[in-house]
Amino acid sequence: MMSSRNHDQWNATPDLQQGEWVDSKIYSDEEIFEDELKKIWSKTWIPVCHESELKEAYSFRTMTIAREPVIVVRGKDMVVRAFLNVCPHRGNMIERRPSGNYKRGTPSGTPKTMTCMFHAWSFDMKGKCVNISRKAEGYQDRLNESQVGLRELKCEVYFGGFVWVSLNDDIGITVEEFAAGSLDVLAPSLNEEPLEVFHYHKAIIPCNYKLWHDTNCEFYHDYLHYHNRITGFNEAYFARKNSGFDGGHINVGSFEVQYDNYEGSHSREELSFPHLPPNHWYMIDMFPGVNFNLRGSALRCDLMTPLGPNSVMIEFRGLGLASDSKKDRQTRIDHHNSIWGPFGRNLHEDLLAVTGQGSSMHPMAESRKILHGRHENETIHDENGMRHYYEEWGKLLNRSPSNPDETFKPYPAFKEQEAQRAAAAGK
Amino acid sequence: MAETKHDLKEQVRELIYNTCIHLDDHQWEHWHDNCADNFNYAIRAFSPEVQADIKYHGGDKEYMQSITSMLSKHNSDQSPLRRHCTVYRVEVAADGRSAAAISSLAVYQTQLDGINSHVDAGTTSVFLVGRYNDKFIIDGDSIKFEDREVRLDTRRLDKGTHWPI
Repeated sequence: MMSSRNHDQWNATPDLQQGEWVDSKIYSDEEIFEDELKKIWSKTWIPVCHESELKEAYSFRTMTIAREPVIVVRGKDMVVRAFLNVCPHRGNMIERRPSGNYKRGTPSGTPKTMTCMFHAWSFDMKGKCVNISRKAEGYQDRLNESQVGLRELKCEVYFGGFVWVSLNDDIGITVEEFAAGSLDVLAPSLNEEPLEVFHYHKAIIPCNYKLWHDTNCEFYHDYLHYHNRITGFNEAYFARKNSGFDGGHINVGSFEVQYDNYEGSHSREELSFPHLPPNHWYMIDMFPGVNFNLRGSALRCDLMTPLGPNSVMIEFRGLGLASDSKKDRQTRIDHHNSIWGPFGRNLHEDLLAVTGQGSSMHPMAESRKILHGRHENETIHDENGMRHYYEEWGKLLNRSPSNPDETFKPYPAFKEQEAQRAAAAGK
Repeated sequence: MAETKHDLKEQVRELIYNTCIHLDDHQWEHWHDNCADNFNYAIRAFSPEVQADIKYHGGDKEYMQSITSMLSKHNSDQSPLRRHCTVYRVEVAADGRSAAAISSLAVYQTQLDGINSHVDAGTTSVFLVGRYNDKFIIDGDSIKFEDREVRLDTRRLDKGTHWPI
């Protein structure tokens, strides 16, 4: 009987069906990473912040999508718009701060304008150029403001006030259409009344962005978390459904978490979200790398910015209701931090695990077969969430996740694969 | 004989420094023993991203005791954290029954098992910088922490940690 394996055995194709493993090259290859930025991250809807970060007219936030600097501003008309954060004159980044408000002027610019510090070209909150310094002297009548507006990006505020941006002018679908029903399970809780960000921190982790998304998509790794085992792991927990939606999105059904099973912890039934039963816990993982995680009293949202094949920035937000009393807000913060803050019980464990994956699947590492083959009737420890994601990934890149140098072939349904396997084995 | 303010300031400094050793060496019980029953602990930072003061961690004495007592059940980065702390200012109240202190803080992390132990173990880097803003209760010979705010400048904590700072 074979136990440990030699090199050939280690590299052999697993005796599993298509989609039940991926080649680790998808987590480490520079060319694949560039392909992902071009064909996925530049083409789709990406949530970039929450509207509560842009409370007042003239407030702004900056971010990056697929290496492109982006600025989101709230206009005098209170509409949120997005632009490339790039001056059309000499390509300087216009705004360097993470956030702020243009009601106050800047050293190079007048109030209520976005002004490039380099040569003081200014733009209003709709992206229209309102000042070309010494225009007549330099450009005479050859160039005017109407020709040098900012590059506006597709932008929507959707799903509890999240701000979504797309670099793709031709995306042709709304965020709602893009979500394909995956958000519906939490829409009543998040759309009932305005939300507000109460927590923000970021981490840069030496691993591929998809490894973090995988971790959010599969719950089998609850063996990593004492907290989850002791507060979960009962019949209702193992019955949670892991459901796929068009576009590679999934969500995970709820159950009642037994918080008081963790020593020093207490039930969170005193505080929840609208329409959410106390102590319940839903999770939504959207393609290509977004996570909404509602545990009763606190909503967590992870937004990822891939930095390289082996580097990702993850921004962690915690949200409550804008109408929270001071006491309720503090309760939400404490609940959030106990497991999800940078000193919390679970987040540190998750980040340690993906850091370890990043260490063994770095760009020069030998390819490995990474197994996604658990089938448990699409419940919590089934790995169908990852399989569903990589089917979409394969389609968009036209690469097979298990052999990324080959073109993608649609996955047959699992039952069909089992039948083929049985037939091949002569059963 | 009543202690002079100078003596009390020295005792506060000594307590802060000894607590650094307790925290460095995971002598959690010693740390808790030096905290009053109504002790409160918080790690905070201002986030210019969302223009808000963010509480990252904290709670009362009972909560912090439960946090440290549960550490062995959790998977943690075991890379040691060492503090370099300088007490900048100690102020003792006129009645000699309370004090407040501000200390500058740098915490260094020496890699053990956080990334790739073969390559990285032994590498020291700055884990975070900030300040301790402490308040104390003085009762005769006893000085105890009433409040500790770890006010961070560092906001990129990457993998984070399970250990109190």
